[in-house]
Amino acid sequence: MGRPVAIIGVGQTKHGRRTKISYPDLVREAVVRVFEDTGLTPADIDGVVSGTMPSMMEGIALTHFYFADAMQAAGKPILKTETCGSTGISIAHTAYYWIASGMADLILAVGHEKMNEGNSQATMTTVLEPFYQRYFIAGAPGVFSMQSQMWAARYGIPEEKIRDAAAYISVTHHDDAFDNPYAHVKLRVTMDDVKNSRLITYPVRLLDVCPNSDGACAVIFASAEMARKLGRKAAWVKGVGYRGEEYFFGDSDKGVWQSAVQAAKQAYDQAGIRDPRKELDVAEVYNPFTFQEMLFYECFGFCGLGESPDLVLKGVFTRNGELPCDPSGGTLCTNPIGATGLIRTAEAALQVMGRAGDHQIPGAKLALCHAMGGVDQFNGVMILGAEP
Amino acid sequence: MTRRVGIVSVAQGAGAESKDNFYDQAYRITKEVLEKAGITRDDLGTIVTASSDIFHGGISCANSYYWETTGAFLKNASRQDGESLFAFFYAVMRILSGQFDTALVMALCKGSENPPNDTCTLMFADPFYQRPVGLQETLAAALQMRLYLERYGITEEQCAQVAVKNLENALGNPYAHRKGRYTVEEILGSERLADPLTALQVAPKSEGMVAVLLASEEKARALTDKPVWFKGYGSSLDHFYLGDRDLLKGPLRDAAARAYRMAGIADPQKEIDLAEITEPYAFQELLWCEDLGLCGEGEGGKLIASGRTRRNGDLPVNPSGGVLANNPYVSRGLQRLVEAVLQIRGEAGERQVPKEVKTALAHGTHGFAGQCHAVAIVGIG
Repeated sequence: MGRPVAIIGVGQTKHGRRTKISYPDLVREAVVRVFEDTGLTPADIDGVVSGTMPSMMEGIALTHFYFADAMQAAGKPILKTETCGSTGISIAHTAYYWIASGMADLILAVGHEKMNEGNSQATMTTVLEPFYQRYFIAGAPGVFSMQSQMWAARYGIPEEKIRDAAAYISVTHHDDAFDNPYAHVKLRVTMDDVKNSRLITYPVRLLDVCPNSDGACAVIFASAEMARKLGRKAAWVKGVGYRGEEYFFGDSDKGVWQSAVQAAKQAYDQAGIRDPRKELDVAEVYNPFTFQEMLFYECFGFCGLGESPDLVLKGVFTRNGELPCDPSGGTLCTNPIGATGLIRTAEAALQVMGRAGDHQIPGAKLALCHAMGGVDQFNGVMILGAEP
Repeated sequence: MTRRVGIVSVAQGAGAESKDNFYDQAYRITKEVLEKAGITRDDLGTIVTASSDIFHGGISCANSYYWETTGAFLKNASRQDGESLFAFFYAVMRILSGQFDTALVMALCKGSENPPNDTCTLMFADPFYQRPVGLQETLAAALQMRLYLERYGITEEQCAQVAVKNLENALGNPYAHRKGRYTVEEILGSERLADPLTALQVAPKSEGMVAVLLASEEKARALTDKPVWFKGYGSSLDHFYLGDRDLLKGPLRDAAARAYRMAGIADPQKEIDLAEITEPYAFQELLWCEDLGLCGEGEGGKLIASGRTRRNGDLPVNPSGGVLANNPYVSRGLQRLVEAVLQIRGEAGERQVPKEVKTALAHGTHGFAGQCHAVAIVGIG
């Protein structure tokens, strides 16, 4: 690791269907909040990292131009990070490296998406090349459904058990979202509601899937000297890991997902974590689909391969469980894609700073945040701790 | 900086339309830059690529598509959008963090499969005010050029001389896309695209797979006898709406000041031996030279007239032919850096300048009338 890096403040929009606000003003809402949160002003910032999903999402290319003013970035050094669905965590990584390299002391990281201004599934279909994959993988659910089927078949997990575990995740996350003032979907649902909701792509049903959200997130990263000088409670970056695998879906094993396994391992090694389920106090796992969340638990070493449905049904990963996952309601309830990974980072930071409000995990000291992207292809992890 | 970062090897592909597909082009350049350094993919620490979705043949999340061709399979890699010098800087940061010994920087653009440049740059415009009037990069540049001519009394002939110089320089560059001996009259007589800009003063649309291998100081010395060192970097972003900006006092001044400060350069006119500048519009080479402090404010016209910026002048600018000769949109900034490195190493072939180059500057810009700029300084010693 380079020199120590801390998160000293976060700002989020109220995520949801924000039809009454323009895209730049949505970005501005998050940026204003992070300055209010930290008491800093734009003049204090050494550089800005911004990012979003591809241009087709809202029909605007290179959004750092359009949002220069909303991000208070005019006259500032700028980087523009984009790695598909994992953009948010990649923005956090970029801000981390900028400070760890010694090139800056205060970096503003901004992720944003206004998904209701475009067609997200049409956009995501164009992540696939036009010759082979685009014809049969429409949007995101197709990919993730195939992955969950592959995983269930490999470990011989009974269909009913997986269905129950996924429904359990949906119910608990939707409940959790009520305690997160920024969450998009707030619904009280029952296991039966989930299991009887509209089929999207077998076995994924409507309540197994994240929404299309409008939202932005801003996070300020600081060097240790700056964090101390400002005298603020901070979340310290303990580990960063990122991996990507093959573009063509059939080339990789998505059951034991090496990009997820190795991204987590890289971050754990840096943070000195050997038994993540015991050592981590909370995890903000990128979970746009209930079934996929279980795969992440396994790839991140929270449990053995094929074991996650049983543990989910025992409540191991709920807010009162051994390792609470997504107490914010997670991506399942809020997904402005370009911001989502950074929201995971912000939520993990709030947890270890003890500032997560109604969804605070008491005494949380060590947290994992994560995002996934590409054609089921990229995984990025960051570990945050309460101590330097 | 406590640690140093060295450039070990560079590679680039030709700008003209290639019959090779995107994967083959990218793979070949990746392989070349690693082979030149004598390392394999297994030895590679990290990879930072630069590409832009909308310029990328209709594929969103471009780095998903080319991930393996840049050697990134199960590596910690990332990506920058819009400007490839961003990717260079991010890779430098990754090495300076101490987490990686080597970093591949790769810029990818297959211009021949992209729509016309300004079909893409129209998408920079906001959808409510600018896009309905058709504002795109060439129109914004024309407004900027008119202002430049009027405020400082620069002449259209002086701007055309930039195209004459650069397209002639490109004759010595095997990678250049557009090249030739033109007169000022021919440049000015080419089709008027957006008054006062004529076609030969506007960059083409090119292919550009460009790679740079970076390493920590120790590793760089082990891998090459001729390391070129990272000396400084600066970037800056301007306000979005043209009306909010002074188009002749843009953010390049800030970007340059930051890069010079990091590199310890007090007098760029004396200390910069050669500059490779992103000039998608001929007059911009003059304006950017002013902003970079290579001549005084309003003196860009005199600078080109003096002949100092010719290949055999005392301050060569774009001996490669620059972006007027080769314009792979996102890749062009990193291509400037590659050309600067080749000149420092004395490996620039027919376009090698007849003077010693110890410190060189590479510049990249994108956006309307240069809304965003990046400057990198590299050198030996």
